[in-house]
Amino acid sequence: MTADRVVITGIGLVSAIGSNLSENLANLRQGKSGVSEMEFLGSEHKGLPVGEVKLSNRQMCEMLGIVDGELVSRTFLLGALAVKEALGFLPPVVRGGLALVSGTTVAGMDVTEKLYPEPLPADSDPVHDCGSNTNSIAKYFGCFDYATTISTACSSALNSLIFGKRLIEGGVRDIVVAGGTEALSKFHLNGFKSLMILDERRCRPFDKTRAGLNLGEGAAFMVLERESSAIARNASILAVLSGAGNACDAYHQTASSPGGEGAFLAMERALASARLAPADIDYISAHGTGTPDNDASESAAIKRLFGQNHPPVSSTKALTGHTTSASGSIEAAFCILAMNNRFLPKNAGFSTPDESCITPLTSDVAPDCRIDNVMCNSFGFGGNDSSIILSRYE
Amino acid sequence: MNKVYVSAIANKVSEEEIRSLISPAKARRLGMLQKRALATALKALAVSGIEMPDMILNGTVMGCIETSLRILDGMASDGEKVAMPTAFMQSTHNTVASLIAIHTGNHGYNATYSHGAVSFECALQDAFLSIRSGQASSALVCRNDEITPLMRQNPKFFGNVQFSDVSEAWVLTANRDDGALFEIEDIVITHRNGTDSAEIVKSEL
Repeated sequence: MTADRVVITGIGLVSAIGSNLSENLANLRQGKSGVSEMEFLGSEHKGLPVGEVKLSNRQMCEMLGIVDGELVSRTFLLGALAVKEALGFLPPVVRGGLALVSGTTVAGMDVTEKLYPEPLPADSDPVHDCGSNTNSIAKYFGCFDYATTISTACSSALNSLIFGKRLIEGGVRDIVVAGGTEALSKFHLNGFKSLMILDERRCRPFDKTRAGLNLGEGAAFMVLERESSAIARNASILAVLSGAGNACDAYHQTASSPGGEGAFLAMERALASARLAPADIDYISAHGTGTPDNDASESAAIKRLFGQNHPPVSSTKALTGHTTSASGSIEAAFCILAMNNRFLPKNAGFSTPDESCITPLTSDVAPDCRIDNVMCNSFGFGGNDSSIILSRYE
Repeated sequence: MNKVYVSAIANKVSEEEIRSLISPAKARRLGMLQKRALATALKALAVSGIEMPDMILNGTVMGCIETSLRILDGMASDGEKVAMPTAFMQSTHNTVASLIAIHTGNHGYNATYSHGAVSFECALQDAFLSIRSGQASSALVCRNDEITPLMRQNPKFFGNVQFSDVSEAWVLTANRDDGALFEIEDIVITHRNGTDSAEIVKSEL
């Protein structure tokens, strides 16, 4: 049984609070926010704060050795940086025949919107669609003989981790690089603005005064591996992907149901698949976007499943912005960093409790606290709700 | 390990079928692809007799591109003053699988694959692996894409990507007695140098 577990043996991470794992760890621990005035997006809505990755496309092209990168999608660049860091955990000898599972929604829209109504140039790489973005990443590294793309809006990256686990459990591959990537685009900034769910201040998840989300961007990819494979090559194991749940809220295309049915079912299924009870969970990394709707709905679901004495809950969206299709893997990476470094991320931006919400974690936990199992939630438009459980490897 | 059967395949639904499966009040709020996708899914579920599958999956190359184009057109003419909330809601790729879930009240596993020419096979693989392992006993797996006038005019507008005007829905089940048409033995998906290929390994009953 034990040898069938799916473990994590590598992580690559790019977000508004760092362009690699160690920068992200330092800023996550300090609670330093990367949400600020926009520098690269070039939208006219300058008053909307965003969680931009603090690298220009040109800088990322240099880091990746790409020339003539003017029309290369930022979604691809962010994804390639994160995959590069994740692959760095694998010795060259096992870097062949790998699977790549990526989650994205924006994909090449950042380039399409720059040119529209002119078409993309004939030699564009990647082109507009989601799959092309993933395939360009696969082609850039040349070590993947399987690639796929999941597009379930804001839960895309978490669903990629869930599908990666399924590929390993189903015997399709021993090692899968899974995660998600999303760049800011005017298309989705204006889309979220039209739904009136963007806050003009830094977002305040679970706070009584919360007024919406800040959009962010980034990418995170994990090396998922069959435990026996990791042991056989003497790899360092960072965590166990011990449970996964996916459910549809089936309520509305963009609004969450008041009782959080989809969120509840996703968390309940994650616990069942990990064979754990609610009391076994030491921390919940909430989806917690800062919209009035999401936070109340997620809180209702957490209270329903865990009761009033729920484990510490926090959202890291005030640090990174809502990184949409990348949020699931970015926040799962945060969970592993926290678990292995014995701290819990505090919920930045919170000051006033709201009776319709849980009260999130705002103080430091004891440095010797034991964190064995953490739950990471990611919910999307369409009621595509997912939850995973990550456990300490011993 | 469970066996995996296909118990219904629906495609090419007629306008008449769409009208009979979706009420006019509901249809008015939906784009062309959404209407056709929902009707095709409902037809497949009805044929299979499985009303509430454990999983709903969709494979789409470009998503509801017609609504995305409407927003791009809006931005091209009015800049960032444009506000099209309904179009934005319908522009994400997962809108079709969600619509089917909302319409049928299905809280099961729900996911959308968008991986070029093998999008449908990826969705099929997710369902296949889940049923084979016993995590699910049935799944609705769809493929949906639309061709707009712009793309008819210039098929390479969004780059070199192949897709067609199609709505199709398969119902997969672990139970041969659900009117099985054939068995799926494996789904093999391969990537090489930026290009994918897929094979659905079937066996006759």
